[in-house]
Amino acid sequence: MTDIAATAPIAPKKRRRLSLNATLVVGIVLTIGFLVVALVSFFWLPSNPNIPVIKNRMLPPFLPDHWLGTDGLGRDIVAQLMVGARTSILVGAGGATVSLILGTITGLIAAAYGKLADETISRGADIMLSIPGMVTALVLAATMGSGALTTIFALTAFFTPSFTRVIRSAAMSVLQEDFITSAKLYGRGKLFILARHVIPNIAGVMIVQFTLYFAAGILTEAGLSYLGVGVTRPSISWGMMLNEAQQTVGISSPLAIWPGLAIVLVVLGLNLLGDGLRDVLDPKLKRRS
Amino acid sequence: MSTVTPFPAEVRPLLEVRQLSQVYHLNRQNLFGPRPTLKVLDTIDFAVRPGEAVGLVGESGSGKTTLTRMLTGVEKPREGQVLYDGVDVWLGGEAHRKLFRRSVQVVLQNPRSSLDPRMRVGTSLLEPLRSLRIEGDHAARVLEVLDQVGLDKNALERFPHEFSGGQLQRIAIARALMPGPKVLIADEPVSALDVSIQAQVLNLLKDLVKNLGLGLVFIAHDLSVVAYTTSRVSVMSAGKIVEVGKPLDLFNRPQADATKALVGAILSVESGLAGNALA
Amino acid sequence: MQTNSARPAIEVRDLVVGNGDVTAVRGVSFTIPQGGRMGLVGESGSGKSMTALALMGLLPMGWSTRGSILHDGVDLVTQSDRALSSRRGRTLSMVFQDPLSSLNPVRRVGDQISSVIRRHTGADKRTAEAQTVELMKQMNLPRAEQLVRAYPHEISGGQRQRIMIAMALACYPQLIIADEPTTALDVTVQKQVLRLLNGAVRDRGSALLMITHDLPIIAAMCDTVAVMYAGRIVEIGPVQEVFRNPRHHYTRGLLDSQPTMDNIALDGSSRLVSIPGMVPPLHALPTGCAFNPRCPAATDKCREQMPELGAEALRAACWHPLAKVGEVAAQ
Repeated sequence: MTDIAATAPIAPKKRRRLSLNATLVVGIVLTIGFLVVALVSFFWLPSNPNIPVIKNRMLPPFLPDHWLGTDGLGRDIVAQLMVGARTSILVGAGGATVSLILGTITGLIAAAYGKLADETISRGADIMLSIPGMVTALVLAATMGSGALTTIFALTAFFTPSFTRVIRSAAMSVLQEDFITSAKLYGRGKLFILARHVIPNIAGVMIVQFTLYFAAGILTEAGLSYLGVGVTRPSISWGMMLNEAQQTVGISSPLAIWPGLAIVLVVLGLNLLGDGLRDVLDPKLKRRS
Repeated sequence: MSTVTPFPAEVRPLLEVRQLSQVYHLNRQNLFGPRPTLKVLDTIDFAVRPGEAVGLVGESGSGKTTLTRMLTGVEKPREGQVLYDGVDVWLGGEAHRKLFRRSVQVVLQNPRSSLDPRMRVGTSLLEPLRSLRIEGDHAARVLEVLDQVGLDKNALERFPHEFSGGQLQRIAIARALMPGPKVLIADEPVSALDVSIQAQVLNLLKDLVKNLGLGLVFIAHDLSVVAYTTSRVSVMSAGKIVEVGKPLDLFNRPQADATKALVGAILSVESGLAGNALA
Repeated sequence: MQTNSARPAIEVRDLVVGNGDVTAVRGVSFTIPQGGRMGLVGESGSGKSMTALALMGLLPMGWSTRGSILHDGVDLVTQSDRALSSRRGRTLSMVFQDPLSSLNPVRRVGDQISSVIRRHTGADKRTAEAQTVELMKQMNLPRAEQLVRAYPHEISGGQRQRIMIAMALACYPQLIIADEPTTALDVTVQKQVLRLLNGAVRDRGSALLMITHDLPIIAAMCDTVAVMYAGRIVEIGPVQEVFRNPRHHYTRGLLDSQPTMDNIALDGSSRLVSIPGMVPPLHALPTGCAFNPRCPAATDKCREQMPELGAEALRAACWHPLAKVGEVAAQ
């Protein structure tokens, strides 16, 4: 046993760690890019995305005034994508946020307030999850009229039960820890325990789930708008752009590529962000070695 | 019950259970059958006096855990009484119950689990005072208690994952001491720790009993660990206290079968080297 | 210290196990002869479990091994995952701490044992099942014919650990590694399981590597002991000698920390001798001897230079080893 063998650092096997960080970095870059585009759209647009300009119909991409060209009615693609980003954020984040709040409340009640509450909430969530989401959304759109608010409502209906389940099981595992027993022993009530002990310990799970459902919300919104039951003009959605592009697909196929690419990049970005955060926030990985 | 009374009879027990029984109802075996019952505690008498360290040993399933839940007021007994300072904890009114909560504190087995990983150690230490609405100079109290358990004050700003198991158990003990308890209940406090650290924590518990006059209830499955810390040990088996005695008497002249089994289970380096440990 | 008539059951040379950030095992060497029994003692973070996993080729993702592990004529460090996998259970096997999580919860215990036998010996189903029942009887499992049909959750912890031992022994391995095999069991069951493991290993002529923090178990089961601290073996030698006459201050401290009935004071006033401080984290090891901050005999030399394990006369890696009994009984 030589000294060298004992003290020399072992051949580094850092590949996995590096790729973890890369996941997070790419996720952050894509997500921030997406948020910035949406933000800029409030102050500046290349041109009005809703006013048809007949002489500019079907311009090809990479022109100085119209970077990605125009659609069948002569509306600028970049401007439409920028306003579409706004819709994606509104609907995706809106749906994910409302579901997160409702799912956290119901999940915590199920985890902490006894068997009856748990059975009621868990079986309720099972029933909700057994209803096909798209059908619900179509029915909602038919009865409430289509629009961003309806879409958020529909997303909340499909996402909340999943959040409930995840939050419930995460909270239950925290509630089994001894520090909860200790807190009960020195007289802390349930609400305090949930707020000060459980929520901070499941915050990582909540954040990760939020990013993943944000992405799922964007996809679902695009799907609904593509089917014509999502947002309507003057709002613009990437799904709507896909739908409109379909009408001209024989003439100019790139029109379908741009919104499709936007959806792919943003959904990918949010998923990478979620995965990266999962690894960073996982307390097991942060523990002492 | 107790044949050994190291204290004069007039010293009133601080924490005492009398004729305690607890029955659990299990699930029905068939749809219309009766619900089977399991007597987890059977007419238990147990007491701890100020400055006295008493042990409670038994295998898993002997009822130790349920008795601990009774002693800490987590669970209400079906029959019998839990008394703190001579007054029934469940009948004594809100003021007495608060006094009981403050005066009986618990140290649990796994120090990694017994501190909130997202809370700074300083905050965790203050929690009992805040929860029990205890007035006074909290900062001074924290420093005093840290000193008692042998920790430095720079521990306060740190999170639990920055500490070793032994240090965390000291922090858990410190938290239990914060409200100024009269009785400390330690439930397997060293079985999750390394051998060299176990000795530190056992010595610390002994010092606390001696210096602060605490009553200590030490619960464990290992008779030799309990023997080091306590002067009187109750052996539990199948919900009953089957034997009470000084640790060495139990070791040398075990009477009950459960005690014999526990004594027989002790392995020591000496018997191992002599080649008769597994005989 | 060991006279090897035949090839040893395992020969570990300069084993280093790390994951790029930390090195958990920092140059460990030992040899277990055929049928020999070595105990590896250490506290959490000493590297004892990582050593075991490295021998089995079961390191967690991202960890890698350097050095050599000679076993059955091959160097396990250079073997492919596939080759290692075909050895596990056949020439070397392992008993883990928690039998519940080591058994497949949805398969009957008898099937789990007999599939090990079939996989490694190529026996047909009926033969393997007969061997399983026989093996379970040898493990003192009651009503073995019925018990083969039980699922892991239906039997007690002690019975599960016997099943694990039966699986580990099924193919008469040259070496069995037992990592804290009784820590998860009730005290009264612990001794029965150890007795069983002891007899079963002896009957098969297998070598045993017993990994534990519990010195009495080593004293009862092993003939050699290696004491690990911070990824290195600090003392190694015959159990009788090391435990009766420890040379390293850490070994002395571990022995003194044992709560035993033999040396307890009558009035309960006895105090355990404890090792001050704590095991250093792997990423912040002190220079020189890793034990120096906790050692009563540490000098500047200990803080600067790392002591090595020497020949027989110097079996402790210590600059100031404790005297032999008879010389001075100080410390």
